[in-house]
Amino acid sequence: MANGTAAASPLTPAVFAILLALAESEKHGYAIMKEARTARGGGVAMGPGTLYGTLDRLIRDGLVEESGTSDDERRRYYRLKALGRTTLAGEVGRLDAAVASARSLGLLPQRSRR
Amino acid sequence: MTTARLKALYARALRLYPAAFRDAYGAAMRQCFADALADRSISRRTLLPLVLKDLVISLIKEHFAMLRETYSRPTLVFNALVLAGISTVLALALYAIPQQVLRNGANDPQIEMATNLKARLDFYGVTNGLIQGALANNSGIVDMARSLSPFLIVYDDQGRALGSTGQLEGQTPIPPNGIFDYVRVHGEERVTWQPVHGSGSVRIAAVVVRVNNGSQPGFVLAGRNLREVETRESQVRQMAGITWISMLGLILVGTVVFGWISRPKHTQATV
Repeated sequence: MANGTAAASPLTPAVFAILLALAESEKHGYAIMKEARTARGGGVAMGPGTLYGTLDRLIRDGLVEESGTSDDERRRYYRLKALGRTTLAGEVGRLDAAVASARSLGLLPQRSRR
Repeated sequence: MTTARLKALYARALRLYPAAFRDAYGAAMRQCFADALADRSISRRTLLPLVLKDLVISLIKEHFAMLRETYSRPTLVFNALVLAGISTVLALALYAIPQQVLRNGANDPQIEMATNLKARLDFYGVTNGLIQGALANNSGIVDMARSLSPFLIVYDDQGRALGSTGQLEGQTPIPPNGIFDYVRVHGEERVTWQPVHGSGSVRIAAVVVRVNNGSQPGFVLAGRNLREVETRESQVRQMAGITWISMLGLILVGTVVFGWISRPKHTQATV
């Protein structure tokens, strides 16, 4: 990913899960890991090495930043930057189109209109 | 295994990360692991294999990233490429100069023989000169394929062989017409002549000169098998090749060492 420019799709599962976890609110490392592990968070099981390695690259690419908020000097909080939010939205759009295509092919049940 | 022991083990494992990464995230990673251990929603049976696998994969990734940063610096790569280029030019010269000296030296006895015979035939003519015994040879016919001795062939103005002290497979070979046409205009030509191709190929260092007798013009070809010269050329090529590869190896080692020594340093932090 070029620094300061929108990332090219598709995103890796770890990147997507981290961006998605931060979309709701700023979080510290373990909170991101825990959120990413859940089904709604992407279902990605990652350890601290992958988490902070990915965060390091996201910070360099301008998608994420440290928020400076901390209840413990060992806990570092992160938040999405505008570029990160745009990138996440782009990836969600791509996945949404894929899901719509899968539905039209009968691979997924159609959503009922109520 | 107790929680404290696991935390201590993980802290030690973090020392395997590159220094820059460890300084930046070591404390946060320890805290993250401690939080995971304290979280009852994930069992140790699930957590520990996950962390172990993560440790191995992320160590490899971070070290490769560090190598990329250390050795992909434009100046370092540029200098290495420049040195490799200079080494390549030097190796080519190391091969080309001796090869040319060897090849040119291969013409030496033929130049003298062709010049001497030409002087005689310029006076008598090619046909009369042969009758006079210009090609008299006490050593017998030279086998062009096997012998390294020089030989002489006299051709008339149409390129037909009139006399020879050398033969190939029992016959006197005739060079391509283009050689006679060239010598007719320029007076002399020095060529590598390959009368036989393929697995049994024979290569001759040939000097062809014009016989300028008004009534009986023709050509003199003095030749010698290039087998021994080409063996030496091959040895020169091998030595130049070994030297080139050695220089490239030294450049690679030097680049790695210099890149490592000159990489951005980070202050040591206790993990």
